[in-house]
Parts: sequence; structure tokens; C-alpha cells
Amino acid sequence: MQTDLTHGAPVASARNVSKRYGATQALAAVSLDVFPGEVLGIVGHNGAGKSTLMRVLSGMERIDDGTLSICGRSDPDRHGYPGVRMSFQEGSLAAELCVFENVFLSSRQDIDAKRWRTMASRMVETRLTEIFPDHGIDPSDYVDDLTLSERQMVEIARASLSEDLALLILDEPTESLGGKDVETFYDYVRALCRSGKAIILVSHRLTEVLAVSDRIGVMKEGRIVSMHKARNESETSLLRAMGGEVLQETKRAGNAAATKEMRPIVLEVPMQTVEGAPTRITARKGEIVGLAGIAGQGQEQVLDRLWRRNRDVRIEGGLAYVPGDRQKSGILPIWSVARNLSISAMAGLSRFGVRQMAAETALVTDWVARLSVRGGAEAPITSLSGGNQQKVIVARAFCSDAETILLDDPFRGVDIHTKAELYQMIKAEAEAGRSIIWYSSENAEMQHCDRAYVLRRGLVAGELAGAEISDEHIIGLSFAEARESTT
Amino acid sequence: MNLRALNGMPPWAWSFLAAVLVLILTYGISGQGDGQTITLALTVAPYLVLVGLGQMLVMTAGPGNIDVSVAKVFSLGGLLSIAVAESTGSWLLGLGAACGVGLCMASISVIAILLVRIPPIVATLATSLIASAISLTLAQGFQGSAHPDLRAFLNWSPLGVPAFAVVVAAFTLAVSWILARTVWGAQLLAFGQARRAAQFAGIRATRILVVVYLVSGILAALAGALRASFSAPNVELGNDYLLDSIAVVVIGGTLMSGGRAVPLGVWGGALFFILLDGLLNLIGWSYAGQNILKGFLVLTVLFLANGAPLIAPSAASATRKQPLSPETEPDEAPHE
Repeated sequence: MQTDLTHGAPVASARNVSKRYGATQALAAVSLDVFPGEVLGIVGHNGAGKSTLMRVLSGMERIDDGTLSICGRSDPDRHGYPGVRMSFQEGSLAAELCVFENVFLSSRQDIDAKRWRTMASRMVETRLTEIFPDHGIDPSDYVDDLTLSERQMVEIARASLSEDLALLILDEPTESLGGKDVETFYDYVRALCRSGKAIILVSHRLTEVLAVSDRIGVMKEGRIVSMHKARNESETSLLRAMGGEVLQETKRAGNAAATKEMRPIVLEVPMQTVEGAPTRITARKGEIVGLAGIAGQGQEQVLDRLWRRNRDVRIEGGLAYVPGDRQKSGILPIWSVARNLSISAMAGLSRFGVRQMAAETALVTDWVARLSVRGGAEAPITSLSGGNQQKVIVARAFCSDAETILLDDPFRGVDIHTKAELYQMIKAEAEAGRSIIWYSSENAEMQHCDRAYVLRRGLVAGELAGAEISDEHIIGLSFAEARESTT
Repeated sequence: MNLRALNGMPPWAWSFLAAVLVLILTYGISGQGDGQTITLALTVAPYLVLVGLGQMLVMTAGPGNIDVSVAKVFSLGGLLSIAVAESTGSWLLGLGAACGVGLCMASISVIAILLVRIPPIVATLATSLIASAISLTLAQGFQGSAHPDLRAFLNWSPLGVPAFAVVVAAFTLAVSWILARTVWGAQLLAFGQARRAAQFAGIRATRILVVVYLVSGILAALAGALRASFSAPNVELGNDYLLDSIAVVVIGGTLMSGGRAVPLGVWGGALFFILLDGLLNLIGWSYAGQNILKGFLVLTVLFLANGAPLIAPSAASATRKQPLSPETEPDEAPHE
């Protein structure tokens, strides 16, 4: 803001840093400097590489290529880089320990071993009061018992507690904080910045990033595609830099899937729009409905409400669920492809609870041929590649007699060829009269939907139909806060 | 060891192999090779098999599922059935009473596990204490003996084959059929190997867990009633059946981590254990020594079962990180 950014040596600098996970290029030749006394904002959509970059800068992740110089070091030690601290979005606190114990774990070098209980308690108490004046957290509270926003406060306070702090990385810090806490938190960030610390703020709340940062880096496909001076930018210009586009209300076209409009609604989930108005997520018979937006903005909760048949949702007919994490919640590891496939359909084929083996075999043979699963029906499921396993899990849902299929981002890490086959299958099943509710963190996938709801903070940010469903519009709705902040 | 051959053997074959080995040793040491030893083993084994089949179903429901109440429920079933049979004069009513009390005791476990969400090992331990307390009360001044008809049947061995063993063998086949050919059986196996995956595939946890614990309770009490009619009711009649029921299930090839049940293996395991008891008595081992050996046998089998994925990489070791031990962390316990 007021600092001249060209002054001083950078706290952290990265040159042509690359990182690859299997087939995914997470970072592609990223170069970046962070100077003392500045707040650097980082924005970008799902999978742009933000998290990977932060993990690299905090020393949690090794790089494949390029050079790093962070607080004068090029390699992290066991504890990461000294002077660099990161606050995580969630889950980095030990839930079974209480607050001061968590603080002791991460700040052992600053705490006297003999009086660590009182010291750690006092440290965190003071810092919490400094950042969040009315926090109401006792250092001896168990993390388990804290609310999501209280955990976030502890997370932030803990990360800022290092004595030699030079660079503080904040990953979506305000995600679960309330209005007043957000304000005091940013006041603290500005104060830290004035005292010469460098701060990286990763957030998809563009208004906040614009208000607090000095510079803003836009990430896309593992690169920093542009760097902006915050005071020269607006939300719209940032959105455009990310590849987003704000949907014009007048552009709404009623052309999409006109024939499907006539079909009965088979499912309804009451929701709220970001403006606070009540709305519904609905699906008609034979419709593919997408749940889009930044990962973790309430899409999975919608699926969960449907799957558990919460009292407030209305669903006609049976449900089948395709989980995203196939290793933990998809495959039945002891069994063959055939048995993995038929488990959901089995009850529907049975007579008085007795399995009808001939019918099951016919079903399995049909699907194995349709999906051309490598190794055939009798191969152990664990001998298949991830993509083939996912085919089987998807087919399991589709060969049941369920009328509505819930897809929980199931195609992550599946190769392009298999994906194309699966998209084809989903379309064919929808044609045949099934309704599909499809959450995906990949915007490109949403283009296979008839309609898509973009979610933000668990609220419906907008609804897109037919040709409106595009990367630009999804990004636009995922980030745009203009409308709600003006109300 | 030929690993390839080992991979091809059916999982129940090992326990029978071990039983035959012990039988040969027994013949060698005693110097006589009559059918008496086998008949005796077949007379005593069915009680253990009944308890074992219930335990097998429970263990098959996945990591953390175990019924440690079987021993006390066994004793309680014995005492109650004799008492009821004596006062009504009908052994059938006695067995019915045992099944009823088994069901009641198991219901306590089920409520504790599913509604109060207590880890199964603790829940069934609590049930065990309750059953034990009732048994002690019942046993005060207890003067009952088995109905002569029932006792005669349990001792009846035409052509050296105990009739009761044949009945229990038929029941074992029925359990095998249920696991292989009914929807519930398939759902139990799916649930046991991957709880979350099974739930997403539409399988309801309660439908699985309620049935396995209730069946285990009923079978334990029924086995106790029959065993008490065979010899005499006693508060400590079931004590050996806890460790033994777990051991014969594991030795029989059932995965302690769930998802694979081997009913036939329970027979192999039971025969092996009973013949082993006889052999150890023959060579003069103490009761304590016998238990130590049994404990090590179970550990050895679990160790080998853990190593099995090395032999068959297709057997999915990567996804099964749960330790194969009875003390499996209670956080994997049922939560639905």
C-alpha cells in the first residue's frame, strides 16, 4: 500500500519452479518475489496451483526444477524454512489436544520447556486477543470442542506466533470467520506488514484480496499469468485476468434443452442464494445437473443432504452414489470386478433375498463389455488401474435400479480417454431417463451438464444453462462478490 | 515353502491339515490308532463350532467388530435352559429359553454399539458382565440336570459319527450358502472389507451389524444350553470359549479385518484345537501351558495372514491398513 515495493531484498524468491504429480503439472516454471513489508495476494481457480506453490514456499514440498531462496536458504530443513509460517485452511491442528498444547507443538523453540503450559497459554491468549478481541477461546479448550471459526482463529494465531517470523502464508484465512473477526484480522495483517513482515494471502474472496494486498498474482494452470498492483485493479479486471466473465442477466437464454423442460421434477433441495433469497436446486427426469464452483463451497453438502434423504429435500425414486475417493470409499478390495460391479444391483435382481446368479452374470457381462474393463469380470479389482477402477465404481451405480445418480467429483485423476468414455455413458443414461447430480471441481466437465448451479459459501451464486455453462461464467460466479457486497 | 501352491489352497484347508497333523502325532505318541479319538473330537467340537460361527459373522463385519461376551452368554444359556427344562419338563422349551436370553444379551450389545456408539469390544464386555451376574444369581443353590432325551441324543454316535455333529455340519453348510447366495450375505462381506465403500454402494450398516451380533448371541447361548445338557451346567462352563472361538475362526481362514468368512474353516479350527488339547494332555502339559500355546498359535496365524499380501499382491494390501489384531482401534467402530 504505502511501501515502495522495489526496496529491499526479497524475503522469498522463486525462479522457474516446477512441480509435477504424476501426469499433472502442478507448477510450471513459476517465478515470484515476496518483499518484506508487503501483502501479496494470490488468486486463481481450482487446480491453478496455489496450494502447491504455498507448500513449496513453506518447505513442505520439494520442487522438481528451478531455484528457491527463502530467508537466505535454498533448501528447507526438517521443520521447513526458518522464519516462514503458514496457516492452513483446515485440519492442521491436533483435534485431541487442547489449544496451548497445539501451540507448544509448533513453537517449541520459543517456549521454555519447564514452564511450557503457562507460557504457551499466555502466548496464544495474548495473540488471540490481539487479532480477535472477542474470541472467547480458552487456551485449555480442546480443539475438538471448538467451532470451525474458532479453530481458524487458533490456526492463524498459532502461525503468527514465531519469534523470527519473516514470511506469513495465509491460506483462505477468512473462509470460516464472521464479519467483525474478518475486519480485526485484516487490521492485524496490516500491522504485521507495517512492522516489516512479508505476507502472502491466498483467497478467493476478491474484495478482501483487493482491499488488503499491495500486489496480486493471478495463477492459472500452474503459472503466475499476471501480476497486478492492487490499487489499479477492480474485481472485474481481476476476474478477466483469471479468465472469468461476469454473466449478464439479460444474456439468459431459454433455449437450453427445451424438451427436458417439459419433464417432471424428480428432486428438490431448498437452498439460499448469495443475496439471501430462498431458492431450490432441482432436477428433472433425464437431466444432468451440475454443482460447480470452487472446491469445498458446499457442493458435497448438497450431495450429502440428498444421499441421507434429509427431511427438507424431496426425492422421487432410488438413489445411487459415486464417491470421489475411490480407494477409501469406492472399491471393495478383496473382490473381483464382477462382484464390485454387481453389489448395488444385487438386491434389485434378487428373489426373496436370494441372489439370482444368472441375472447377475448377464448384467456383469454386459457392463464389462460396454466399458471394456481391462482384465475382464474375474480380475481382482485392485489389479486394475485407477481409471478402470473408477469405471467399475461408476458402472456399479448405473447398473443399480436407482433413478437418480449422485456423482461426487469422481473423475479426478482419471485419464482423458477414460473420462471421455464415462461422459458418454453419463449422457446415454440421462437419455434413458435417469437424473444425474454431478459435482465437479473441473469446470470443463460441467459443460456436459444441461444446467449447473455455481455454489459459493454453501449458497447458490448462480444458475447456468446449456451454452451458458463455460469456464468463464463459472469463474465469474465463483468469485464475483460485487452483487452481495453492494447489498 | 512353495508360495504358489500356498496361494492356490482353499483358505479352510490349512486348519484341517493342522488337525490331521495333530491326530497323527497323537496316534504316534499314544501308540494306538483307533477311531475313538476322532469320535470324541467330533462329539465335543460342534459346541465350539456353533460359537465360532457366530464369532465369525461378527468378525466378518469389519475391523473392530468382535463379540467378547460369548463365554458368559454360553454359561448363562446353559444354566437357564437346564432350569427351564427342569421346571417345565420340556427340553425344547429349555433350548428356546436359552435362545431368548442370548437374544436379550446380544440386544444389549447392539444398543450399546449402534445407539450409544460404544466400541464393540467394550460393549460386549459390558454385556458379558451382565450375563455373568445373572448366571451367578441363577447358580445359587442350583440343582438341575439335563433332560435325559436331549442328553441321549447328544451322546448318540451311530457308526462312530455323532449325530449332533452331523446336524451342526448341516448348519455350517447353511451358513456358507447364506454368505454366498443371499443378498444379505454378500452385503455383509462387502461391508466388512470396506465400510464406507459399502455404504456408498447402498448397504445399511444397521442391517448388517444388528444381525451379526444377535446371531452371535443366540448361537453362544444355544451352544451353552446344549453343552450343559451334554455334561452339567456350571457358571464357568463357557470360560474357554472366548479365546477358543476367536482362535478357531482365525485359524480357519476368516480374515480378522473383515470381508472374508470361511465357515468350513471353523470346523477345521475347532477339530484342530480339540485334538491339540487331547495331545497336550497326553504329553502332560498344564492348562496354563496349553493356553499360552493357543495364544501364540493365534498370533502366528495373524502374522501369516498379515504377510499374505506379500504372497498375493492382488489381495489388496494397500487399501487395508487396519491392524489385524483383536485390539483394533475403537475409532473404526461402528458409528451408524
